[in-house]
Amino acid sequence: MTKPLVAIRSVSKAFGEFQALKNVSLDVWPGEVLCLIGASGSGKTTLLRCINQLTEIDSGGIWLDGELLGVREEGGKLRRLTERQIARQRLRTGMVFQRFNLFPHKTALENITEGPAQVQGRNSDEVRAEAIELLRRVGLATKAESYPSQLSGGQQQRVAIARALAMKPMLMLFDEPTSALDPELVGEVLAVMKELAQSGMTMVVVTHELGFAREVADRVVYMDHGAIVESGRAAEVLGAPREARTQAFLAAVI
Amino acid sequence: MRAAPTLAEGFPDLSQMQIAREIHWRRWLAAAAIIVVLVAIGRAFAAGQIEWSYVSRFLTAKVILQGIVNTMVMAVLAMALGIVLGVVVAIMRLSPNPVLKSVAAGYTWLFRGTPLILQLLLWFNLALVFPTIGIPGLWTARAVDVMTPFLAALLGLGINQGAYTSEVMRAGMLSVDAGQYEAAQAIGMGRLRALRRIILPQAMRVVIPPLGNEFIGMVKATSLASVIQYPEVLHNAENIYYANSRVIELLIVAGCWYLLVVSILTPLQMLLERRFARGTARINR
Amino acid sequence: MTRLSLFLGVAAFAATASAQAAELPAEIKQAGTLKLTVNSTYAPMEYRDPATSELVGLDIDLANELARRLSVKIVWSETPFAELIPSLQTKRADFIISGISDRASRRETADFIDYLTTGPQFFVLNEHEAKAAADLCGKKVGTTRSTSFPVEIEKWSKQNCEAAGKPAIQYVPGENSIDVRNQLKQGRIDAAVQGSETLPYAQGQEPGKYRVVGEPFAIGYQGIMFRKDDAVLREVVTEHLAAMIADGSYKKILDKFGLGANAVARPMMNAAPQ
Repeated sequence: MTKPLVAIRSVSKAFGEFQALKNVSLDVWPGEVLCLIGASGSGKTTLLRCINQLTEIDSGGIWLDGELLGVREEGGKLRRLTERQIARQRLRTGMVFQRFNLFPHKTALENITEGPAQVQGRNSDEVRAEAIELLRRVGLATKAESYPSQLSGGQQQRVAIARALAMKPMLMLFDEPTSALDPELVGEVLAVMKELAQSGMTMVVVTHELGFAREVADRVVYMDHGAIVESGRAAEVLGAPREARTQAFLAAVI
Repeated sequence: MRAAPTLAEGFPDLSQMQIAREIHWRRWLAAAAIIVVLVAIGRAFAAGQIEWSYVSRFLTAKVILQGIVNTMVMAVLAMALGIVLGVVVAIMRLSPNPVLKSVAAGYTWLFRGTPLILQLLLWFNLALVFPTIGIPGLWTARAVDVMTPFLAALLGLGINQGAYTSEVMRAGMLSVDAGQYEAAQAIGMGRLRALRRIILPQAMRVVIPPLGNEFIGMVKATSLASVIQYPEVLHNAENIYYANSRVIELLIVAGCWYLLVVSILTPLQMLLERRFARGTARINR
Repeated sequence: MTRLSLFLGVAAFAATASAQAAELPAEIKQAGTLKLTVNSTYAPMEYRDPATSELVGLDIDLANELARRLSVKIVWSETPFAELIPSLQTKRADFIISGISDRASRRETADFIDYLTTGPQFFVLNEHEAKAAADLCGKKVGTTRSTSFPVEIEKWSKQNCEAAGKPAIQYVPGENSIDVRNQLKQGRIDAAVQGSETLPYAQGQEPGKYRVVGEPFAIGYQGIMFRKDDAVLREVVTEHLAAMIADGSYKKILDKFGLGANAVARPMMNAAPQ
């Protein structure tokens, strides 16, 4: 039996008084596309950010490809890893943000080559060639020398996807990738994500785009108030949800 | 096809009428009054007990020119030191490490909390506390040989400036969108590398205008180094009037040079501001 | 007695009588006060007593005695040395008695009534090797830059060092006499120059720390400085100063500060050689 790529066990996270995640457990299997849906405050974004440790969990454990994230076991206690070790663990995931977060002082090409060249110390010619190929893959081959301020929202997000892919991650995390886009630009980004899914990348996507979820996701997880309410095949959860809360959410959204 | 809606009566069409130009007669009056006052002040100075021949004679005297060169050299070097220290201290202040944070806060507290002239005097007289300095076994020297007026002025001005610059830098770094740091982390950058390659370059754009302002202040702060015998322009002007008693005339000479330098730097700083402050890359939304 | 000689005798008597009846200028008499300003960092001439913070010194005592004889009060103020002359010029002070040397360069707009001999004097830390003034050729010598001493040192160096084929003295500026002594203690300078009137006090303060080298290398006088157009006030003060010398109160004040040797026989006007 294959092991899950991401194993989340009994994870809790509070921000002050507010309990964002309550004892959440979840598996993500290699090659699958998993969509996290739910209202704001449901904990879906928090859960996503825990996977690449942008948010630190309070208790529980997350394993990526069998490696425990953020801590190590030592003599019955858990000790936090150093900042350097955590940074290294982040290399195996790529993240795409709602607000793109491209580096404004660098061109599209430089945004993509920054990680491999600086962090991974790879040969700059190779890195450059791969970056151009990635730009072509997301449909922006002509925009290599453009600055983010010269690109539309949809174009920026596609560059952001290319930037994440440049690090050759085994897992891609998407935090509401189209929420900040004008409606007419959403499609081009979803198209790239669909192509990525079809190429076999494991993806965890927090999204409101239920159409995308229905079409591309293997599994859909509905969260509410920090806990997983329902999870299952996309068609089932979206088409015929079992839980009343899921039904209420979907009714309100559609 | 729908007809245009009918409008209510009583509101005429003014689109063909032009707005008449206003004569702000009060403003003209005020301007005239100010000009009269300025002319009167100018004439008073011209007729006053100032020997303008001394002013013109010493305006380009060799020691004065040397003095303004020394002023500018010190201003540039001390500002550079202040910027380097400011960046380091700001990074320490924003560090998760409480030791670094406290050291940074302490440095800022100490050097912003004492007058600059006091700091200059302390540096210059360091040998009263440490007659010799050095690394035991490797190198020792007499403090007075090391702590020349130049070095004392540089350290005093630069380290003091660093305390102020660190606050400017900190504000600049905090002004960079938090998402930038997260994106840097997401591609595996550690804190220092993210600061160096992503945050600081963006912070610079916010920070350069206030730093330009600080530099103009530094040019004038160098005059304090006159009391520790650094031969900048005020010091040299004082030496001249100690000899010939022409106090006001020589102070006017020094003042003219400061004004000239600042008058050149101010529009330069405005240019800098326009280039860096707004209008550069902003994320589309 | 001839009528001429009687007339001359009466005239002479009248002249001396009127001379002795010299009056203070009207504003001062009316105000009943003398405005005086000093640079109070110059012990023992004028300084703040470290224990009581009171303004004390030889100049203070002389001025107070003069004021007593003139039946006026003194309103004291303090300024940096370089501001003394401007204070006189702007009439912020009625006259200056503040350890200021009578110098030709200062006589453009002022007259001096000389009341104390002085002269720049080399001194070193006790343990320094210099024994004679000539040993200071090529060494670093510091003094207060706002005084006339930098010029004096340069002159002396030309005459006694460079003329003898030795390296010139390196002059190092200081802000005031305390700063100069600080520099001496730190070893920034090998020797310092101060007016000879200040050294007994400095040596008294820190016994055994300093050692005078050679004699004062220029003769000069400390003068009371008056505006050129203020002859009336100048005459009055000179008169009373002469009286103080005559009745011994002047010597008493000088001895109090260990400067009996710097006494003048009588007040002189603009008598300093340069």
